[in-house]
Order: sequence, then structure tokens, then C-alpha cells
Amino acid sequence: MTIFPGGRRRAAVALALTGVLALTATACGDDGSGAGGDKGTEGSGKGKITFWDNNGGVRTDVWKEIIADFEKANPDIDVEYVGVASKEVQSKYDTAIQGGALPDVGGVGAAMLAGIAAQDALEPLDARVEDSALKGKLNTGMVDSVKAAGGQDKLFTVPTSASNGVLYYRTDLFKAAGLAEPTTWSAFYTAAGKLTQKDKNRFGYTIRGGAGSIAQALDAMYGQSGITDFWNGDKTTVNDPKNVTALEKYAGLFKKTTPAADVNNDFTKMVAQWDSGEIGMLNHNLGSYQDHVKALGTEKFRGIPNPTLDDGTRVQVSNPVDGLGLFSSSKNKAAAWKFIEFAASHESNSKWNKSAGAIPANTEAAKDAWLQEAEPTKLAADVLFSGKATIVQLPYYLPDWNTISKADNEAGFQKVLLGKATAKEFLDGLAEQLNAAQAEWKQQKK
Amino acid sequence: MTAESTLTAAPAPGAAQAPPPPDRTPPAAGRKRRPAWDEVPRWQIYLPLGIYLVFTLVPFYWILLFAVRPAGSTSLLPWPMTGEHFEKVWTERSFGVFFQNSLLIGVAVLVMTTVVALAGGYALARFDFRIKKGFMLALLCSQFVPGALLLVPLFQIFAELRMINSLGSVIIAETVFQLPLSMILISGFIRNVPYSLEEAAWVDGCNRFSAFRIVVLPLLRPGLVAVGSFAFVHAWNHFLFALMFLSSQDKQTIPVGLNTLMGADSVDLGALAAGGVIAAVPVVIVFAFIQKWLVTGFSAGAVKG
Repeated sequence: MTIFPGGRRRAAVALALTGVLALTATACGDDGSGAGGDKGTEGSGKGKITFWDNNGGVRTDVWKEIIADFEKANPDIDVEYVGVASKEVQSKYDTAIQGGALPDVGGVGAAMLAGIAAQDALEPLDARVEDSALKGKLNTGMVDSVKAAGGQDKLFTVPTSASNGVLYYRTDLFKAAGLAEPTTWSAFYTAAGKLTQKDKNRFGYTIRGGAGSIAQALDAMYGQSGITDFWNGDKTTVNDPKNVTALEKYAGLFKKTTPAADVNNDFTKMVAQWDSGEIGMLNHNLGSYQDHVKALGTEKFRGIPNPTLDDGTRVQVSNPVDGLGLFSSSKNKAAAWKFIEFAASHESNSKWNKSAGAIPANTEAAKDAWLQEAEPTKLAADVLFSGKATIVQLPYYLPDWNTISKADNEAGFQKVLLGKATAKEFLDGLAEQLNAAQAEWKQQKK
Repeated sequence: MTAESTLTAAPAPGAAQAPPPPDRTPPAAGRKRRPAWDEVPRWQIYLPLGIYLVFTLVPFYWILLFAVRPAGSTSLLPWPMTGEHFEKVWTERSFGVFFQNSLLIGVAVLVMTTVVALAGGYALARFDFRIKKGFMLALLCSQFVPGALLLVPLFQIFAELRMINSLGSVIIAETVFQLPLSMILISGFIRNVPYSLEEAAWVDGCNRFSAFRIVVLPLLRPGLVAVGSFAFVHAWNHFLFALMFLSSQDKQTIPVGLNTLMGADSVDLGALAAGGVIAAVPVVIVFAFIQKWLVTGFSAGAVKG
């Protein structure tokens, strides 16, 4: 009896497949050297370096272009590009720090900088910048922001770009309803109410109730309360009565002027429903501008800075500055630094930020013509650098910031939206966690 | 009696059996007779099924719609149709390469899991040894350990073996995680095959291995299909190990590639939907071909496992 017709031939194929698998299993791997705390070496300045892009996929094309330019200018250096999805980059870095296999260069946003720097995985870059062509050409505000975010008064990343909160609004819907541009919070709330026609599935606003909701809620709170500091001594101001009132009003929009499904809105759903429906306003950052252009064209919407108080006072929370870090375990730091220097130079930085619609850190790139033509980016840059806005610096330097501002409290904010908790209860809980994290951080610094 | 004649005489365990004829016995006095299957109005069957199908298929329709609809379109019908999103993910976003890698990993995990689970399952089904109960308990308990918990130790082991950024690391890790459940299932299937069949084969001159190969293995086909497909689909969809152990662009898999289509602040929904279709097609094809054996296999293993 035979199990299968043609059994011998199949058995041979199975055997061959097993052989291939055995070869696959053992060939071409890395030893994973390069854990957090490894000292690394300066190297020859030639050879291969690895670069992890912290927003892989979306920015892959522009990075590959920059890498090709770099390799043309530095034929002795090969850059291996690794695109890592933004949502997973923190865990990928954490695993590589514990187990080895860190890259030579990596994109590190300010929100995760403190945690990585605290594990001795990043090389301080102050001296390298001083001796390089980048000296004096990096936006001082972004440099300060990155230094503060690292938590050790050292420059652990070369800043490359910044984003900012933007209020996108549908000009066609505003015009039809005879509404003024929502430049103030009063105008914002009026428009949200007037544009809502639930029976026609039209809403004035879409609120972020899912992943990433906390930063957006904080922006709305501080923008309305006008409180200009995150800390009052060792205590946070998030549960200040003015902030509580502001959050009550903001969360009160849910279901009155927003879709009920917004309770689960992460930015993907929020942007998708704004782009495809009839919703008056959306808060997001500069990163989604191109998506709106693709969906709506440039005529049907505008992106303006977040609203001000009625007297024109503008307060907003800081957005994480993105940057490039040199990992201390690198065996070829000289070549890795050359790449960072090249990527942060005028031409490359301009190219990257133009593609991303973000604000360049290189001051020469920030003067390029494209920035004047990209309206939301230009307006955001004006707000950030005009000195007319007060920026509330969020405590990115706290190693627990990411956990507190995401996993630990997003469900709590949903309860506020659903009326299962009050704004005060939620903010008191948030304040308690922040105060404890701040105290712990100060203790560790001593 | 030869092994072949034994096979023809004995009913195949797990084989599909004809459904019993409808009960047409008159009801006892005072009791309402339950209507027979063919007496139920068709709409009472097809309406709930239709509602369920709509509920199930709408998300798939939505994915297909986004995948074939031009960027910026808000049409609820897939017309006009475009292949731009598929072209983009397949070429620009390297899904062609990711597809090959996922396929290689899936097939390798299927082969390794099935082969090792057969050997282990046979031992569990046919032999009594001192720590058998403890071993079974350990296999069951291993199902409660999440992969994320073992991530760093596994990473360090593969780093020592110079296997980081090698497809082999994912194949081994996936196989190891698939094996306990697969072994338990296979041992259940093997127990369902009467031991007397193997004994008859021994009388006819077979040794243990050839008796297993000639007599038992053909009867395990539904079970093998169930375990193999389960292993393939799990490996195809699994994300964590591929994300952590593989870095190079040319080594990444479909789930990791899908994740990179969602940026920090921006998502190309058309490309994401096209990537989702590419990821779903092999799984749908696998299930379409094996569904009969899969249901038979799981039910056979479940009853007497």
C-alpha cells in the first residue's frame, strides 16, 4: 500500500525542503552584538552601518533617497535601511537593548528618548555637533527640547523635525453655514454646535477617544485654561480647577457634536472619517496634511494652528521633536556620525521635511521656498518660532511618561467621555501618577 | 489478514458519516411534533444565514472596496476600479518579498510542526512512561505562557546562535510554540486508530515504523490537515517574533510589512487595504481547500482526545 501516489518523488521533495530549511535556519544571521551599555568603537569611518527608521514604511522612500545621496557622497560607507513601524519602535529598541543587535544610527522621538538614554544606549552628541558643520545651524528651540527630553542635560539626538497641533476645518462647510474661521475656542465651540446635524450624519467635530487621546486632550485643556506651566513646584497642574473645567467642556462635545464611535478613535479612524465624511473640524498634527489633500484637495479645507483664548493668548503643549541618535554600542561611530551629519544637513533635512510636511530643524532648510508654500507647516512654524505662543513643555524626560500618557490613562479618558467618571476624578488620578513619577525621577537624579 | 484488508474492514476514524434519516415517528399523544428538516420553510433557514453572512462579509467588502477604489474616492461601490494600491504595496513597499518570506516561514513551520508532533503524539498515544501525565500537564501549561514573556531570552539565545535576522529564528520559535497543542491533538487522533490495526501489520511482517507509515498515517490525514493548517495559518499571521528577530527589509514578513503601512501620523488606507487582501488570500485559499478535512479532523480529535 502507498500513502500517496508518487510517494517517492514527494518524499524526495520533502527531504529537499527540509535541507533548505536547515540551511535557512543557520545561514546569514547576526550575532546580535550591540546591547545597551556596550561601549562600541569609533571604527574606521568606512564599511557598513545600520540605520533604523522610527517611522518605517511611510517615510521609506525619502530615506532611501537620502541614503542613496549619502552613499554617492561617501562611496566607502554602506547604509542598511531598516524601516520599523512607529507603533512598534519602542519595543524593538527595548528588546535590542536587552538582547543586543542595536543599530548604529536610529530615529528616536523625544517621547521615548529618556527611556533609551537611561539605559546608556545612546551616545551624547554635544561635542560632535560642536565640531561639525551643523554647529549653529540647528534650531535652538528644538535642541533645548531634545536636551530636556533626554533628562540628563545632554544632546542624545540631533533634532531633525518638529510637528505641531493643527486644527483642520472644512472651508466649504463653514462657508455654507456662514461661520467664521475657528481661530478662538469660543468660535470653535460655536462652529461645532452649528455644524452638527445628526439626522444627516453631519458633525461639527471628531474627538480622539482611543489611542493617543491624552496628548490631544492636554492640548485642548491648556489651550483653554491658559495655564502656562506643566509643573507648579513638584506638583503637576493637570488637575488645576481651570484645567478641570476646560476638560469638562471639551469632553462634553462627545456625542453632542461628534460621532458616538469617536470613543474608540485613534488617529487612523479619526482622519479616515474626517476625510471621507462631512465633519467640520479635526485636531491632529502636520503629519496627516497630505492625507487630507489626497482626499479633499486643497480647496475644501484649511489647517490652522490650534485656537487661542478670546484675548488672543495662545497656549499649547509641546509636540515631540524627532531626531537621530548614535547608539553607543556602534562599532563604527565615525561612519554613523557622518550619516547623521549628512541627514541633518540643509539639503537632506529640507528634502525629508518637505516629504513629511514637518518643520525642519536645520535653520537653513526652514528658509526654503517649499515651507512658505505649505500653509499648515508655515503657520505652525510661525507659531513655534514667533515667540507669540506659550509652549507648555510636557515631561518627556520622565521614563514613565509614555506609559502614563498612553496605556495607563487612555481607558480613563474614555470613561470621562462615556460619563462613567468625572473630569476631576480622571485628572486627579493622572496628577497622582505624574507627581509620583516626577518624585522618583528627581530621586534617581540625586 | 493484511493491513490493506484490515483497512477495508474497519471504518476510518474521523471519516464523515451520513446524517441519520429524519425522525418521522408520530408524536406521543399531547406532545407537539417537532417539524422535520425538510418541512421548515426555506426562508427560516436562509434569512438568518444571510444576515450572519452580511455581518461577516461587510468588513471584507470594506477592505476590498478600499483596495480597489482610487485614492480620494468616497464611492460605496468598487467602481471605477484601480490596481494602483496593489502595485504600490507589491513593488514599492516590497510585499512581493514579504510574501515569499511569509510563505517560506509558513511552509517550514507546517512541515516541522507536523513531523515532530507526529513523533511526539505517537509516543504519547502508544507508550506508557513514568512522567507521561506530568509531561502532558507541562504541554498544557505551556499554552498559558505568552510569547512576549519569552521574547528577550529567545532573542539572546538566537543572538548566541548568530540567528538574529535569519528566517530560521522565526521558524524555530514558531514551531516550538505550535508543538504542544499539535502534539496533544495528534496524540488524540492516534488514540482513535485501533491498536489492533498496527498489531495486525506487525503480524504481516511490518516493523513499528513501517506499520505506522503504512497503516496509521493514512488514517490520520484529517488530523494532519487540521494540525498542519493551524500551524501554517498561525505562522503566516504571527507578528511578534518576525518583528523582533528580523530586521533587514528583505527578511520581513507580511504582518510586519502591514504594520509599516500605518505611519505615526499618516495612513495610506488604500495601500493598507491592498496589503490586507494580499495577506488574507493565502489563508482563505488554504481554508477553502481543507475545510472539510479541517472540521472532520478537529471533531475527531476533540471527541476522544
